[in-house]
Amino acid sequence: MQVTFKVYRKDPEKDGKPGRSNYTVDVPDGATVLESLFKIRDEIDSSLAFRCSCLRGHCGDCMVRVNGSSRLTCTAKVTAYTQKGPEISLDPLRNVSVIKDLVYDWDAFMWNKIGTVKPWLEASDATADAENVIADAQMKDLRKVMSCYQCGMCDEGCTILPVDIDFVGPAALTKAYRFVFDPRNQNAKEQLKTVEGPKGIWDCVHCYEADEHCPRGIEPTKRIIALRDEAYRVGITNEKVARHHKSFAASVTESGWVDEGRLAIESEGLTNVSGLMKLLPTAAKALMRGKAPIPYVHAKRPGAEQIKKIIEKGEAENK
Amino acid sequence: MQDFDVVVIGGGASGLRAAIAAKRAGASVALIAKNHPLRSNSALAQGGINAPLGKDDSPELFVEDTLAAGDGLCERSVVQSFAQEAAKEVIWLERMGVPFNRDKDGRIDRRAFGSNRRNRSCYADDRTGHMVLTVLYEQFQRLAIPSFDEWFVTSLALDGETCVGATALGLRAGKIDGFAARAVILATGGFMRMYSPSTVSIGTTGDGQALAYQSGARLTDMEMVQFHPTVFPKGQGLLITEATLGGGAQIVNQQGAAIPIDKGSPRGKLSLAIAQATQNGDGAAFLDLKPMGKEKILSFFPQTHELVKSVAGLDSTKDLIPIRPIAHRPMGGIETKASGETSIAGLFAVGECASNGLNGAGRLAGNTLTESVVFGKKVGEAAAVYVKSAAKKNFPAAKLADEEKKLAALTSGDSAQDSLVKVQAELGRLMSEKVGLVRDGGGLQQALGGIKELQARHRKIKVRNAGRIYNYELTTHLELGSMLAVAEVVARSAQARTESRGAHNRQDFPATDNLNWQSHTIAKLAQGSAQIEKKPVAN
Repeated sequence: MQVTFKVYRKDPEKDGKPGRSNYTVDVPDGATVLESLFKIRDEIDSSLAFRCSCLRGHCGDCMVRVNGSSRLTCTAKVTAYTQKGPEISLDPLRNVSVIKDLVYDWDAFMWNKIGTVKPWLEASDATADAENVIADAQMKDLRKVMSCYQCGMCDEGCTILPVDIDFVGPAALTKAYRFVFDPRNQNAKEQLKTVEGPKGIWDCVHCYEADEHCPRGIEPTKRIIALRDEAYRVGITNEKVARHHKSFAASVTESGWVDEGRLAIESEGLTNVSGLMKLLPTAAKALMRGKAPIPYVHAKRPGAEQIKKIIEKGEAENK
Repeated sequence: MQDFDVVVIGGGASGLRAAIAAKRAGASVALIAKNHPLRSNSALAQGGINAPLGKDDSPELFVEDTLAAGDGLCERSVVQSFAQEAAKEVIWLERMGVPFNRDKDGRIDRRAFGSNRRNRSCYADDRTGHMVLTVLYEQFQRLAIPSFDEWFVTSLALDGETCVGATALGLRAGKIDGFAARAVILATGGFMRMYSPSTVSIGTTGDGQALAYQSGARLTDMEMVQFHPTVFPKGQGLLITEATLGGGAQIVNQQGAAIPIDKGSPRGKLSLAIAQATQNGDGAAFLDLKPMGKEKILSFFPQTHELVKSVAGLDSTKDLIPIRPIAHRPMGGIETKASGETSIAGLFAVGECASNGLNGAGRLAGNTLTESVVFGKKVGEAAAVYVKSAAKKNFPAAKLADEEKKLAALTSGDSAQDSLVKVQAELGRLMSEKVGLVRDGGGLQQALGGIKELQARHRKIKVRNAGRIYNYELTTHLELGSMLAVAEVVARSAQARTESRGAHNRQDFPATDNLNWQSHTIAKLAQGSAQIEKKPVAN
């Protein structure tokens, strides 16, 4: 069947400006997008650049956007994308900087970020007589997390990265989870600290796009939340976040719902004058748009007593 | 110009293990890889990594099973050394973080695999290669070893008869640079992309073997090509781990009747049996996972289930999966000692690109990952020792300029009305048909003629795209050159061995000839062709 691929182009050895090339090729019905790309490169345009390695969905290298959604080209069947017509668009991922055509900078996108979480077990290199003895139940979930093949889909779908490209991202945080929760890790606390800093776990807004995107069901968002719980358990080092959590829990426990005004002030800290000053424009806007009640009174809600009981029961169970 | 004690070429399991070992032994080390290491072919390994950890097992039994699979061509001392170290290395991997499946006592579990007569294949789901590669890369990063990812090595540099480094093209910046080294370790993997179909990644193109061979190093047992028995053959093909057989899966015909095959045979015999059964009128062969039960399939073979769905469009818990024996990995390669030394001073080789006598005429299933780490460590350490006493040599001054000229020549002039893809496709067909599972003298002669023609066609093809940044047309041209050079050696070696042994099946010489042929074939480049000699198995 004939299909037209509209492919993003950029040539750093020419003008380096983004463009698009349209290629019409004849491909067999069972062809994948990757096989079509090979055909284009062979028959039409040998300058087209795209990555691939294992050809079979094992390694994560060939991720691009097919009709706007991130996908491995080696397992993407052309017919799945030609339901509405014989045109398929191919683009690099979002949240990346493109080097050439569909080849983008993986270092900046993901490898460097993973590098910041100290991605290795600080195990002793001394020769051991035997393995660590561990129940398989403890290894099973670890194998799930480690089935991650760094395809980048979670980082690609992340809603924070377009706003703050320095956020370390779900891929790196999932890698951090792998170490923090490996029972053989002597260094878990240190590795948790590296992701507790700025641009780490606290910058995730749990939009769950990462979980929606992950092709292996690893649930990066769930892992990030688990890292937060762990940080809370061992003592959160990020003071603003700690204050925020404390204030949130306090107003919900006391009144059954969050006191946003109190939350904003207590998160910044009552003595943090510059932080508090930064809140003023937001406060003013809120007042002008009718988002803050005048006078500002935070009343106890009906059901507050039940909510308090739930929280107290939950805390008791956690101990 | 870069300068290191040890330069490792190839970022898969063997290369990473060698780099780690060389660094820990005190050498300055750099890794050059044409891909990111995590995209290496090692990630495709699934079934397991052998170690004699079971109470019912021993290094001696492990030696016997390895020798049996090697069908008389293994070097016993190398096999013994390997079997002694295997348990230590697998335990090291576990301690460094590989999440092996556990038995009920919490120890590393071991399963049945291929012709191992004891359960000794340690595994992590059916993603053992991915897990081992992942942990090796973690430990590699721990040592902060400089990694030149997406650098394509274009040549080895020699000072007289000694290897003094390499030149490589950085795909990202599009520039060539020189890497001076006192020791170069080739860990570039196999060459199965010269067969179509094959089970391997696109970059498995024999670059290391070609580099070594063209620099005058000896290759050995190149005719020994292992076919994997259970591969879904359509499209790019999908290898389904033989561990499924050990777990209860059956090989059946279209009617679902079991094909009479001993599932515990070595791969060579199993592949032949399946090929013969399908020719004899059993029709196509299929892998039936249903006897394992859905729960066991999803629990122990989750990636198999996932990829059978996305690549083959089948449900492994319900459907029969068509299979055929497909070209998988070589036993032969660059001739090395157990230390990894090749016939060129300063040049080492390890892993699938090398042949040190471990695998003989047939590799025991589950030994490849073990080989990567056992010999990765030995060779890395040997290289680090070597550099301490190696004399300082000179990186040839004109080398970089020469490489520039060579690449420029590739892009100059008009291209013949021919295509790299067509040449590769024809090579793939030729090798599968004439140098495949079963060979004969006439077919091998045709293969050699065909390869020579394809080499001539390849020389005439120009790279149309003159750019240097991520120019995959250029790298494809170079890789095809590697495959064509190595294919000639494979075909010539197959022609030379006038007997059948292990993976090498000659229809015209069906018997195993221990009188004349308990020997390795040794290939060397001389007067533009592969010259083959025999070297008796030492022990």
